[in-house]
Amino acid sequence: MKKKYLSILLAALMVLTLMAGCGGGNGANSGSNGGEGGPLKVANIVNGNLGDKSFFDSCEAGLKKLQDEGLITYKTFELGATDADQPKWVSTLDELSADGEYDLIVCGTYQMDAYLNDCAAKYPDQKYFIYDAEVAQPNVASITFKQNDLGYLVGTAAALMTSSDMEKINPEKVIGFVGGEDGPVINDFLVGFIQGAQAADPEVKIDSQYVGNFYDTGRGKEIANVMVNNKCDVIWGVAGGAGNGAAEAAAEHGIWFIGVDSDQEATFSASQPQMAAATIFSGLKNCGDGIIYMVDQLNAGTIQWGKTTQLGIAEGGVGLTSGGNFQKLPDNIKKALDEVAPKVTSGEIKVDTAFDESFDVKGLRDSVRP
Amino acid sequence: MKMLTDIFGIIFTEAFAFSIFRITTPILFAALAAVVADRAGVTNIGLEGIMMISALTGVIFSAWTQSAWIGLLCAILLGMATALMIGFFALKLKTDIILAGIAVNMLGSGGTVFFMYLASGDRGYSANLASKVMPTVNIPGLQSIPVLGGILSGHNILTYLAFAAVLLVWVLLYKTPMGLQIRAVGESPNAADSVGVSVNRIKYIALGISGALAGLGGAFMSMGYMSSFNTGMTAGRGFIALAAEAMGRGEPIGTMLTSLLFGFADALANNMQSLGLPQELVAMTPYVFTIVGLAAYAASTLKKNRKKLE
Repeated sequence: MKKKYLSILLAALMVLTLMAGCGGGNGANSGSNGGEGGPLKVANIVNGNLGDKSFFDSCEAGLKKLQDEGLITYKTFELGATDADQPKWVSTLDELSADGEYDLIVCGTYQMDAYLNDCAAKYPDQKYFIYDAEVAQPNVASITFKQNDLGYLVGTAAALMTSSDMEKINPEKVIGFVGGEDGPVINDFLVGFIQGAQAADPEVKIDSQYVGNFYDTGRGKEIANVMVNNKCDVIWGVAGGAGNGAAEAAAEHGIWFIGVDSDQEATFSASQPQMAAATIFSGLKNCGDGIIYMVDQLNAGTIQWGKTTQLGIAEGGVGLTSGGNFQKLPDNIKKALDEVAPKVTSGEIKVDTAFDESFDVKGLRDSVRP
Repeated sequence: MKMLTDIFGIIFTEAFAFSIFRITTPILFAALAAVVADRAGVTNIGLEGIMMISALTGVIFSAWTQSAWIGLLCAILLGMATALMIGFFALKLKTDIILAGIAVNMLGSGGTVFFMYLASGDRGYSANLASKVMPTVNIPGLQSIPVLGGILSGHNILTYLAFAAVLLVWVLLYKTPMGLQIRAVGESPNAADSVGVSVNRIKYIALGISGALAGLGGAFMSMGYMSSFNTGMTAGRGFIALAAEAMGRGEPIGTMLTSLLFGFADALANNMQSLGLPQELVAMTPYVFTIVGLAAYAASTLKKNRKKLE
């Protein structure tokens, strides 16, 4: 009998706490929606792990900066990247939305857009940011990066490098691209890379291959090895962790590697000096700056919910590292980059995008193979 | 037709043949691990997780001690310990061994992130751990032979060890009393028990050896193949190894051949993309090889059986 009462009591308690949770959440929500009171409360959903030294770390750094400036307070939810973690992505997104405790929920990547689309429709009062993907809901602001513009810059530099008399450069004009997956985001980098390279030197051939995921470093290395056999002397790795494999191959065979997303030369220099030495520069995708840009828009009241903001070179969304080995580039290459960047920004040079479904990525890829 | 000549042009190069051995190494270690466990009647499905754990262990300890060999030793020991843990859960606590193996695989993917963070503050890639790699070996005499020297000499020492391990496992299984006990336990535990063999003891020993071999495979990933640890870097090689062992019918030599077949298919896949074949199609290559191999094997046994009947 005693047990029965206890269980009823416990059940009642649970229901109460549930309601209390809702009540508190709603209160906080309405309070902050009023605007004036205190910094913005932000939940950062990471559908991977921090410590990737690029994508998610960049976003985290942006939020940290905003918090240090007193503009927001935030909490990060790290959920893991594998298939087994996927259910957590949806449930966390849903729980945080139902809670209503946060003024803004931030998440990213094209792996989240479908989930967010459903969730945003279910909780129309909750505001969301999604970066590196698009969601067309009136309570979501999407941030995408013009990685094709970035690719164009990198391609320009790589093509001029392979035609130059720099150290480690062979006579053959072949450059390589190690991609993660054959999908629109990675192909957007590639399209810009190929068009930039071809514009800089039409004789340059581009060997492009995909690892098939973002973590198989061994395969990344093998693919880069194959490219070295095909006489590549500059390789751009756009494959997350698997790109590190390409960097290893580049260091072993004495060719140049180009990093992506964050300053990989700086990352490698901590414990792998030979890989740092092989990295000439990195193409940056500044997720953190993108989020800072959007929060500024939000505070200024100019943010457009339901719309996508494309961040390019001018907005600081994408760009090249300029320190370290970048300074080893001959002056004519640096000059060419300085000339190309404003033209890309102004639209004088039009870079195609892989997000345009009518654009034939495969055709472009095959037309420039060595 | 041009495509075919292109493919043959790639296959008959030194670099291609060399890469087969490199790619096969981690698969072969793990497949031998599967052989030893399987022959003792325990299914070690946790190979992938053990490889991940050992890959990280090797990096951490070689960075701390600045000795690749101590790192390797620790990787082997932890691989062994992890396999014994599977044994403890399955044999002592009577959980399903498949579940215990799956748990180890999950530990391998999630736990390694956690422990790497504890050890270095990194989570995705061991950027702050100045780890060591195992040396490569140039075989005197052999290396000066044209073509053959280029293919067989200059590999990582662990690659040679993997092929030596094939012989060692064969000797263990067929030429030692321990091997006889392992096979007896695997084929008929009750019969083995009736003649006084401690079934669980043999299973523990087999799992320990299995863990050590998988540990070597993991160590190769982060201390030979690559020079750092990346989350998820074993990328399913532990599972491919299970397939290689099954295709090799649990025989050391047969398993070596099937592992080499997977290595060959993988090397071919890496090269086919540069010919312009789509990545998805190319990624299927190893599995197509598996199916064709299994079909050929089934057909040949069928024929043999028919002959026997006649």
